[in-house]
Amino acid sequence: MGILANHAPTIEPLRPGVVEVIEGGNTSKKWFVSGGFATVHPNNKLTINAVEAAPLDAFSPEAVRANLQEALKVAAGNGSEEDKVEARIEADVYEALQHALSK
Amino acid sequence: MLARRTLGRIASQPPALGAAPSQARNMATLREIELRLKSVRNIEKITKSMKMIASTKLAKAQRAMQAGKQYGIANTEIFAHTGAEEAGKRKLFIVISSDKGLCGGIHSSVSKATRRAFAEKDKVDEDSPIMVIGDKSKAQLSRALPKNLVLTFNQIGRDIPTFADAAGVADLILTSDVKYDKIAIVYNKFVSAISYESAVVEIDPENLLKESPGFKAYEMEDDVTKDLAEFTLANAIYATLVEAHACEQSARRNAMDNASKNASDMINRLTMQYNRGRQAAITNELVDIITGASAL
Repeated sequence: MGILANHAPTIEPLRPGVVEVIEGGNTSKKWFVSGGFATVHPNNKLTINAVEAAPLDAFSPEAVRANLQEALKVAAGNGSEEDKVEARIEADVYEALQHALSK
Repeated sequence: MLARRTLGRIASQPPALGAAPSQARNMATLREIELRLKSVRNIEKITKSMKMIASTKLAKAQRAMQAGKQYGIANTEIFAHTGAEEAGKRKLFIVISSDKGLCGGIHSSVSKATRRAFAEKDKVDEDSPIMVIGDKSKAQLSRALPKNLVLTFNQIGRDIPTFADAAGVADLILTSDVKYDKIAIVYNKFVSAISYESAVVEIDPENLLKESPGFKAYEMEDDVTKDLAEFTLANAIYATLVEAHACEQSARRNAMDNASKNASDMINRLTMQYNRGRQAAITNELVDIITGASAL
């Protein structure tokens, strides 16, 4: 989803993924966001509230792959329902991370 | 001539019987002063080290607070645009303090603010629920408003608060069956490194957001109001927790600073007293010896 200036007021929940901020020139900054809300206010302000965000180059693909395997194992295993749901969410985040890093 | 003069001197002195007990009393008080001096010195060491620790913790806490404050402001941005409706009076008060003492008036500041809010009978229902984070304020409020306490949290605030703590608190609040019209978070606002003041941040729960006219201006794909309300609550709790933590460290630093100053003043005074007493005892002994020798 792209937001330009003077967008209509909107509230959007954010899935774990990449947020790209395109500044005046052709520079852009990318962050991986763990999830949260993006709110466009009537006064042309955009607020992105995320629990955690980090620049893309702070992640190591090796660690991501290893943790993804772990999470998938727990999700498919025989823990409690809560554990499995948590592991599923964890796996989603890692998959999104992998996808973002491989681009 | 000498003999007459010394006789006169002995007669003019206070009776010999009186001298011995006062000398004994002086020795006893000398010992007491020595003990007091030792204990005050130990206390001064302790308060000085607590002040050092609080100073280093304050530096870290202030940095976290800068980030947290921006987060809190961004969080409440949405409430600036959704008009403040006339809500019901049943407010859920979340009081933020901590478990540890020796930090000046932090805990009583939030407790007093809560009691003042309750005194405004036309704005707050009398049986509004209160949830307290931190044992110290819990003790104070359970004496003042015992019937209103619903939930208490402890072991929060030992270190810099994280979003995980705030999310945990928010989760427990939302899953409890407490009914409320609005949420008010009472915390200590950081004014400067030497002062703080109590403040209240109000959060609208889900149904209030839905009814507010300003809110309807926002487009939403699916209805995420409930998630938004929960997220804003957790964010607000996080921002206020971090700020209250910074206030607590600065208050503890100032309190321990004052305590160290008072302790060193006391040490000076006691040392003077001790030296004077010591010299008086020596002088008395000398006088006794001299009069005894001249009487021979």
